[in-house]
Amino acid sequence: MQDDLEALEDRIARLRRSVRAAMRRRDSARVKELRAELRRVERAWDELADALERDERQQPSAPEPARPPGPLVPAREHVHQVLTLLGVPAAPKLIGAVHRAFFPGELPASRLASLRRDEERSFRSSPGARPYYLCPALTSDLLAPARGLVTVSSWPLEHRIIGPLSPRVDFLRAAVAVADAAQRGLHETPDTERLLRSFAVSIPGATPRGTGPIDPGLLTRAAEAEIAVHLDADRQARAAAADRARRRLDETERLFGTKLRAIPGKTAQG
Amino acid sequence: MDSLNTRLAALRGGTSPVGFSARTIAGLNENPGCARRALLDASGADKDRIGARVGFPGRFGQSPFALARGRVFEEQIKANGAAQLLRLLREKLGLTIEEAAYLPLEDVGDNTGRELRARHTTAQLLRAAREGDDAGTLFDHPMLRLRVAGCTAYLEPDLVAFQVGGRFHVVEIKSFAVIDGQVDGEQVTAAARQAAVYVLALRELLADHGLDPETVSHEVLLVTPADFTNRPVVSLIDVRKQLAAVRRVLARMSRVETLLDALPEGVSFDLAPDDDGDPTRDPAELAAALHQIPARYRPGCRAHCELAAFCRDEARCADSLDVFGPAVGGMLGGVDTVCAALGLAEGTRAPAEDEAEIARALRHAETLRSGLG
Amino acid sequence: MSGLLTVLEKMHAARTGYARPLRRFRHHHLVDEPLVIVPLKLAGEAAAPLGCAVGTDPDEPVLLTVPQPRNRDLQHAFFTDLAHVVLGYVAARQGETEEVVPRGGEPRLRYADAPQILVPNRPALDHLGLTGRLTRFQETEDDVPLLGRWLTFFADRAEYPGSSLALALTDLLTAQWATGQSDLEDANLAMLLAWICPPEGTTGAAAAQVAENPLDFPPAGPATDPDFDGLVLQPAVQGYDRAVDAGDPVAAARAEAKVREAVTSQLMPTWRLMWKGLRRLRELPEAAGCEQRWAADRDRFTRHVDRIAEGGPPQPRHDHAVAAAARLATLERAQSRFEAQQAVDDPFVLAELRTTGEAFGGTVVAGEPDRTEVTAKGRTVLRPRLTVRTEDPVRVDDDQAYVCPDRPKQNVRIREIAEDESGCLLVLDVVSGMGTVKKPVPIPEPGETVRYTRVPPQWGGQDFPAPEETPWTHGGPPPGSEEPQGAEQ
Repeated sequence: MQDDLEALEDRIARLRRSVRAAMRRRDSARVKELRAELRRVERAWDELADALERDERQQPSAPEPARPPGPLVPAREHVHQVLTLLGVPAAPKLIGAVHRAFFPGELPASRLASLRRDEERSFRSSPGARPYYLCPALTSDLLAPARGLVTVSSWPLEHRIIGPLSPRVDFLRAAVAVADAAQRGLHETPDTERLLRSFAVSIPGATPRGTGPIDPGLLTRAAEAEIAVHLDADRQARAAAADRARRRLDETERLFGTKLRAIPGKTAQG
Repeated sequence: MDSLNTRLAALRGGTSPVGFSARTIAGLNENPGCARRALLDASGADKDRIGARVGFPGRFGQSPFALARGRVFEEQIKANGAAQLLRLLREKLGLTIEEAAYLPLEDVGDNTGRELRARHTTAQLLRAAREGDDAGTLFDHPMLRLRVAGCTAYLEPDLVAFQVGGRFHVVEIKSFAVIDGQVDGEQVTAAARQAAVYVLALRELLADHGLDPETVSHEVLLVTPADFTNRPVVSLIDVRKQLAAVRRVLARMSRVETLLDALPEGVSFDLAPDDDGDPTRDPAELAAALHQIPARYRPGCRAHCELAAFCRDEARCADSLDVFGPAVGGMLGGVDTVCAALGLAEGTRAPAEDEAEIARALRHAETLRSGLG
Repeated sequence: MSGLLTVLEKMHAARTGYARPLRRFRHHHLVDEPLVIVPLKLAGEAAAPLGCAVGTDPDEPVLLTVPQPRNRDLQHAFFTDLAHVVLGYVAARQGETEEVVPRGGEPRLRYADAPQILVPNRPALDHLGLTGRLTRFQETEDDVPLLGRWLTFFADRAEYPGSSLALALTDLLTAQWATGQSDLEDANLAMLLAWICPPEGTTGAAAAQVAENPLDFPPAGPATDPDFDGLVLQPAVQGYDRAVDAGDPVAAARAEAKVREAVTSQLMPTWRLMWKGLRRLRELPEAAGCEQRWAADRDRFTRHVDRIAEGGPPQPRHDHAVAAAARLATLERAQSRFEAQQAVDDPFVLAELRTTGEAFGGTVVAGEPDRTEVTAKGRTVLRPRLTVRTEDPVRVDDDQAYVCPDRPKQNVRIREIAEDESGCLLVLDVVSGMGTVKKPVPIPEPGETVRYTRVPPQWGGQDFPAPEETPWTHGGPPPGSEEPQGAEQ
């Protein structure tokens, strides 16, 4: 069996060489062919090596991870939990960070990516069957889905629309929400301080002098001070867009955004 | 113009044109005197595949690790309405708290077509330039256009900031590290050149709509990670010199007609792709077509031109001093082959009138050399 | 050095297809047991280590690799292993000492031996410097901060012309030989060595073309081949990440072995080239000046050992503007001293300087061995004079003393220069080493062929303080505290 393994290794080395040579020649068809072959051989090697090593160790195949399993909550409920805490549209990265800071269990990043499509499909097949849907935020100008921002369908339309100042306002609001959760002592983890800091460093007056830990009260006050500066302008932009959406869009579109049908008049000139 | 485009398209043949990017436009500044590259670039020929077809594949891949690092750092800077960038602009450039609007321009609805995005960008930038207040401070991934040799190049800066001192600023986000305030000079130069192309495109956009092009600052903001961390720092770079260079090279590209006129009838770089897109053009014939246009090879070409290996081989076969680099050629001013230089040194070749001085120096050096035994 | 003689040799190399010698001697000392380091880093990162081959035995390199170079803990484990090798090597040079008694100075001890680090190229030296910067401020209890201080020391000395404590092989080889390719290609170790020692039966030119293929000759680093990164390294590193995420130790160990195998495949060819180049360089005779320069290196080494033993702080982050300017001036002085010494030691170098007029040679046409002058104080002194006919384009510098390597004690100055159609006549006064009126030392006689080059500046004067000797609270040395450099006699 060991010999087989070495034969496979030789073959892998030869194949890699051939792939790189073909790449240099820009022979894409050959590259594809060789890569497929390479993957096959590598898989064979993995299986063989696996069998060998596990034989040697005289133990049945290792049980799955030793880390504490979180409660078996579907990913969409994890996301809902986080968004409810934040109260504003959020990007998957922030959702993941907040989850790590305050909630037990794992929220694999890969799951977040597929959520949006699943939710829309589910809504279209039986509208309103679920108590809430995770849907994209909408851009204020085109009422189209905003890239990478997730919201909850039960929120008022104004909260799900993103105007020019909304990314900033929502960031500040998220800071307040996170500081609040930290003050309430909601399941603190080592990641909590890191999360607070990541907010505080980007908000004027939110970091304490010296090197001490972040003060959630200070963070809240600093964030609210800046919110006050932007609030009126942001509220107006969102309200105007929400009005437009109510007049022009059907229920599905109000949740998942319009596909680009026509560009509003003045945008089209250039 | 159309006749020019037709002639250039004929040169390229049945292959679809390779568009310009800011990087390739900035690259035109390297060795701008090379007619071969000027013509190939202007015609949109695929130099990479041409090089491979004539037996000299270039090596222009970037490591996936480098690409991933660049992507992650840019995402980090732009996350949450570009919160980290906003902090830098406030601290270092005195951006006021009110200026916090953020407009993602990387798509229009779900549509990512370049022309549509360019029009959308134009509308947004013009609105900001005309109305000023709260019409957007940070424009993420705008799509700009620039005319290069009669074609439209689409350019996508990382970000444009407005109202930093009442002017538009191009922001370049790069993942190479600044360590103790020191940074790799070559990488900064490359970033500055690229940013200059964006500044030019932005200025033309404003000028085309009757606005003052000087509203676009000649200072660009370079955002890089500091030391060995992900902590971003911003530096201001004056790109006036690079702007002048880009203008010069674009002007030269628009005079590509004179190069075309010098070309013999029937020269083409057509790869003659078959149904699968694989080239069928006879490599020898293609190489012969390339040889028809004079190149100016330098060892540094390999950093920015896919045909460098081909041109180096040509220079070697021609016994040219170019293979050693421009410094050697400069020292031997006027003499251009190894054979001629050694002939002068060994006295087997009579110097031309303007070679008298270098011939004497070479003979002297050769005497010293042979004296060493 | 890039004068006309070098250019001619390059052209002869291009014509013949073989590298041509540029020096008769090797001007850097090579120790019997150098520490060879071939470092590789992860693309896109400032100094994330991917792996390295390190050691003193060509047949048994220590191979260190990092299965996920972005992981700080794994990086640290790598630095710990590297520290073990480097610090062990450095410690083994601290055996015997010798006493040095400088003229008019305090006697001191210095180590009879010193470490010597050899890396493939300049970027590898820069990488060692960055690694030093990354590790020397770490606040760990292990040896990693100490490794950082030593790597910083080596990277720093590598900038000092004439020092042999840390060297890049491509620098050593290009100083010694001219190839028929450009400097950019000479920076590729495989291509450079191909010109210098091609495999039997091929020319250097042909071998260099073969050596340009990264499949057979992986880049000497620290950057790896992008195609290798994409096709081999990335899948291996991702496999490691997956295995760790899944908490499967068997799979993780296997994945780690895969990364190791991949990185080793990129390290070993360069490792072998390092020793091949080193063997070739050892065949060359060492220049006379090496001994003195190596003694200065050993002094530096001794002081750095003392510095660390005394509990001094690590080298500061960067040079203060004043310190940086002083350092630059010192490096320039060291450069000119090193060049002048090489010209005295090596006829090739002297000949090269004759093409630019910094040195000259010719035939003695007249001599006045008994000539005397009366000094301002009224003493009569011997000032022999000779006239030399030369065809060299001499650049006259009144203040410059010249020396003939065959008469190292006798210095001359140019007094007059007269041109005629076949070259020019130089009138030279012998200003030292001529003896006295009663006991004159012979000077060159008419008909003799002579060569003269600049007298190397004396050791001593002001040398820049090494960064570790600059209190970093000050960012530079306090005024008037420039350390006397008795070290470098």
